[in-house]
Amino acid sequence: MPVSGERSIRLAVAFARGMSRTPATGWCGVGVEFLVVSGVGITVMGGGAAGPLCVSDPSVAILEDAQFTVGEGPCPEAFLSGVPVSAASFGQETARRWPSFAPLAVANGMGAVFAYPLASAGANVGVLSVYQRSAGSLTDGQHADCLTLVEVITETMLSLQDTAPPGELARELDDAVAYRAEVYQASGIVAVQLGVPAAEALLRMRAHAFAADQTLDAVASAIVDRRLRLDEPAPGVPPPGFPPLGFPAPGFPTPGFPTPDGGGRS
Amino acid sequence: MNDDRTIGDTGRQPSVEERALRREELTAITFVEIVDTLVDDFDVIEVLTVLTARTVELLAASAAGILLADEHGHLRVMAASSEKIQLLELFQLQNDEGPCLDSYRTGTVVAHPTLGPDSPWPRFAAESVASGYPSVCAIPMRFKERVLGCLNLFISRPVALPPTDVALAQALADVASIAVVQDQATRLAAVREGNLQHALTSRISIEQAKGMVAEYARVDMDQAFARLRQFARNHNRGLTEVAQSLATGELVIESVAGPRRPRTVPPGPAS
Repeated sequence: MPVSGERSIRLAVAFARGMSRTPATGWCGVGVEFLVVSGVGITVMGGGAAGPLCVSDPSVAILEDAQFTVGEGPCPEAFLSGVPVSAASFGQETARRWPSFAPLAVANGMGAVFAYPLASAGANVGVLSVYQRSAGSLTDGQHADCLTLVEVITETMLSLQDTAPPGELARELDDAVAYRAEVYQASGIVAVQLGVPAAEALLRMRAHAFAADQTLDAVASAIVDRRLRLDEPAPGVPPPGFPPLGFPAPGFPTPGFPTPDGGGRS
Repeated sequence: MNDDRTIGDTGRQPSVEERALRREELTAITFVEIVDTLVDDFDVIEVLTVLTARTVELLAASAAGILLADEHGHLRVMAASSEKIQLLELFQLQNDEGPCLDSYRTGTVVAHPTLGPDSPWPRFAAESVASGYPSVCAIPMRFKERVLGCLNLFISRPVALPPTDVALAQALADVASIAVVQDQATRLAAVREGNLQHALTSRISIEQAKGMVAEYARVDMDQAFARLRQFARNHNRGLTEVAQSLATGELVIESVAGPRRPRTVPPGPAS
């Protein structure tokens, strides 16, 4: 992507300086400052996996988590399509497009969302999400700045990974997994309990979280603490048959939101 | 004499003006053709092959080849206007001596219009003359400060390439250089993306394996991780590989976690 204009170059340099002084968890704060937007999230994605590298505030965390839980929203859409995805306002169109994400975004006070694939020279490594509390498009300048940040963040992530021992995730990027370590541990537990592959166990957990109106993290925590087993009925879980929704987005790496019988009952 | 050129075979000798016009037209077509192929998923070998073919059509050269240096600095033939064995051998020879090696090392045009026993590269000169090419020219392929390789031209008469031909050859070599650099960047990006993906999924598989061992042996996550590491060490295997083998079922959990332990606190009112 072309880095056009002196302003974007100045911003790239300033951002790179900010990043060099900040651990990866602080990049989103640097992003908010330089883009002059309400919120920023950076997600590492690849090989069907996704992890948040950072979020600028708790409401962004909720929205990024929700997209991870149900596999629907601007973030997976931008990653899969490889082009920026935007909603300058939330209305009927976004409600149809993202039936789970859109209402949650509104409930968390968001007016617009913009997702940019972290892609450079053909390498696609995640998504930069930008949130605005008021509706409206980004200015041309902000859009150009986002494209510049995409270049800087992508190159920084790849450069950090270049220095990691072969096969290991760079220490600076480890938060992307460490943040959801319990989710993955729980999927291993459920895999043994149900005798299914870990990927399917994760789908079962997602279904359970959705049916019980909990976050995936809360479900994972309960499983790891052995307060919850998915091979037994748990109190407070609605019976199977929650409304069929049109997600996840076609071809999302965790395909097929499970059928209602995946809701944790055997 | 070998003359592999394909233009000018019209029977009648074209006038000087006709030839100049034809060449100008061909040059324009060639550049458009090359630029067209540089969009999206281009095959660099295909681009370079087209380029060598057009080079012999446009210039007073009988054969052309593109040699690129690999990561060890060895020159490798990437494309040639003809697959004649003698020609390919002439390219190969230049890892030891020849105009291409000199051009690659110096980053300049290296030409020798009258190859013979007293040329700077005796072995190459003898082979080249025997193959019907008494005159050679090597154009450097450069990108910024880097020399990538060379465009090698063979002429079937003992004359030098006219300066206009050298200039045009350099322009073609520059286009080829852009194609090569772009291709290298794309390949590198794919490798780096793959590395990050692999590291990410590996890291996740370790967490999943911890969960599997913890559940199977009824231990906490720290102990589960210790057992995983212990197994990997004892069997001289990587932690990631052990974790992934567990996930795929290639490795039975029991061999890593130890015997399965039943749940200590059964659920329900009985407890």
